[in-house]
Amino acid sequence: GGTLGCASVAVSPRVVPLGSAVTASCTIQRELCHGLEQGKVRISWMLDNKLVAGSQHQGPGGTEVSNLTLPRFNLTQARLFCCVEWNGTKQRVGVAEIRAGYPPAKPLNLSCVLNLSDYGLTCRWEQGTNSHLPTSVVLKCTGSGAQAVTGCTPRGGHSHCTVPRQLLQLYRQMEIWVSATNALGTAESERLCIDPMDVAKLDPPTLQSIQSIPFQTDCIALAWDVAWGTEHMELQCELRYRAPEDSAWALVTGIIGQAGSAQRCGFLFGTQYCFQMRCRRSSATALASWSEWSPVRNYTTHEKAPAG
Amino acid sequence: TELSGDQDFQLFLQRNLEFTRKIRGDVAALQRVVCDTLQLCKEDELLLVRQELDIAQAPLEQCHRRTFQAETCFSQIRAGLRIYGGSLATIQALLPGHAGLVETLQLDMANLSSNIQQQMEDLGLATVTYPPENQDPVPTFSSHFHHQVGGFFILANFQRFLETAYRALRHLTSL
Repeated sequence: GGTLGCASVAVSPRVVPLGSAVTASCTIQRELCHGLEQGKVRISWMLDNKLVAGSQHQGPGGTEVSNLTLPRFNLTQARLFCCVEWNGTKQRVGVAEIRAGYPPAKPLNLSCVLNLSDYGLTCRWEQGTNSHLPTSVVLKCTGSGAQAVTGCTPRGGHSHCTVPRQLLQLYRQMEIWVSATNALGTAESERLCIDPMDVAKLDPPTLQSIQSIPFQTDCIALAWDVAWGTEHMELQCELRYRAPEDSAWALVTGIIGQAGSAQRCGFLFGTQYCFQMRCRRSSATALASWSEWSPVRNYTTHEKAPAG
Repeated sequence: TELSGDQDFQLFLQRNLEFTRKIRGDVAALQRVVCDTLQLCKEDELLLVRQELDIAQAPLEQCHRRTFQAETCFSQIRAGLRIYGGSLATIQALLPGHAGLVETLQLDMANLSSNIQQQMEDLGLATVTYPPENQDPVPTFSSHFHHQVGGFFILANFQRFLETAYRALRHLTSL
C-alpha cells in the first residue's frame, strides 16, 4: 500500500512471471493530502524513474483513482510510484514494489555422501536457471512410512547442506530430495532412495608393513589397518602396485578388508615397488564409492640369492 | 513365515548385522571409558556389590537357538533395546564427558529398533509401537559407587544382549 495517508497504491499481482501483465491502481484521498486541497488532482506514475501513463477517474467518497496496466513487465524488480502534480512538480506520494521472474527450476543431479566422523549426510545438487525471485530451498527426507521432514537448509544460496545424524535412519532406505519454492511455484528434484550407509565415504586403509615372506621367494606379505570407524564393516579392498619403470599399475581385487593381511607373489628381485590400497563396503549397492587410495608405501624386494 | 531366500530380508539382515556390530563397538568404547576412568573393568570383582543393585536385564530367551522363534525374538530385541536405551541415562549421568558417544548410541539403538519394526511390518508380523519418550523409571542408587557399578553392569548386560541378538540375526541368514 502507499506510504502516505493521502495515497494508496495497489498492485496485482505483486510477483509476476517475467513478461506478463501487471495492473495497478492509485487512490488519492485529497482531504488527507496537505497542500492538495485546492485545484484538480492530476495523478501520474513513475516506474523507477520512467514516466508511464495511466487513466484517471473519480472514485467513491470524493477520491481520485488512477489505473495503470503494464502489458509486458520485463524487469525482474521495479518500484512503481504514484505521483500527483503540485506547484508544477511531480510529487511521489505512494509506492509499490513489483518483482518478476520464473517458477523455480528443478534442482538436478542430487547426490549425497555420509561422513563417518559425525555421520552427517552432506548432499549436493545443481540449482538450475536463476528464477530472479526470492526462492527458499530445503532438503527433505523421509524414512519408509515416516513423515517427510526438512533435513537441512542450504546457507547463503549454496546448493549443498548436511543432514544431521539425528534426522537419519541408518541401515534402511530413505528418500531424499530437494524442494525449491518461490512466489510462482515449487519445483522438486528427483528422489534419491538410499540407505545413508551405502554412500558412506570411507577413509583409506593404512598399509602397515610389507615384507618378503617366505624368505628367498618372489612373494611379499602385506599388513594393513582399516580406517577408524569401519571396524564393524565388511570391507572389500583393492591393492595396486608397480615398479617405477612400469607404466601401468598391477591391480589385485577382491581382498577382504577385515583380514588385515595378504600375500602376493611374482615380484622381481631387488626391485623397488610402490603400493597403494583402497576399500569400500562389500554389502553396499553400486552407489558405494571407494575410499581414496591409501598413501603410497614403497618397498624394495631383496636380491636373489646366487645360484649353486 | 517363510524367510529364507527373501532378498529384501537378506539385505535387511546384512545391513543390521553390520549395524549391530557398530553398536557393540560403541558399547565396548563406553566400557573402556568406565574401565579407564573408574577402574571398573572385571565383573568377577563386583559380584558382591551387584547383589545389592537392581540392574535391569532384558530377556532374550526367544532368540536362543534351542527356543528360537523369529517373531518373538524380534519383539524381545526391540523391547530390550528400549530397556537399555532408558538405562543409558544412568551412563550419561556417570560419564558427562562422553555425552556425544551416549547420544550416538541412543540414536543407533532407536534406528535399529525401527529398522526391525519396519522389517516385521514388511513381513506381516505384529509389532509394538513405543511412545517416542521412554517413561521407564531411571534406576536410582544408594551411593555414587553403586551408581558407578550399576553403570558398569548395565553396559556389560547390554553387551551380552547385543551378542545374543547378533547371533540370532546371523542365524536367520542361514535359514
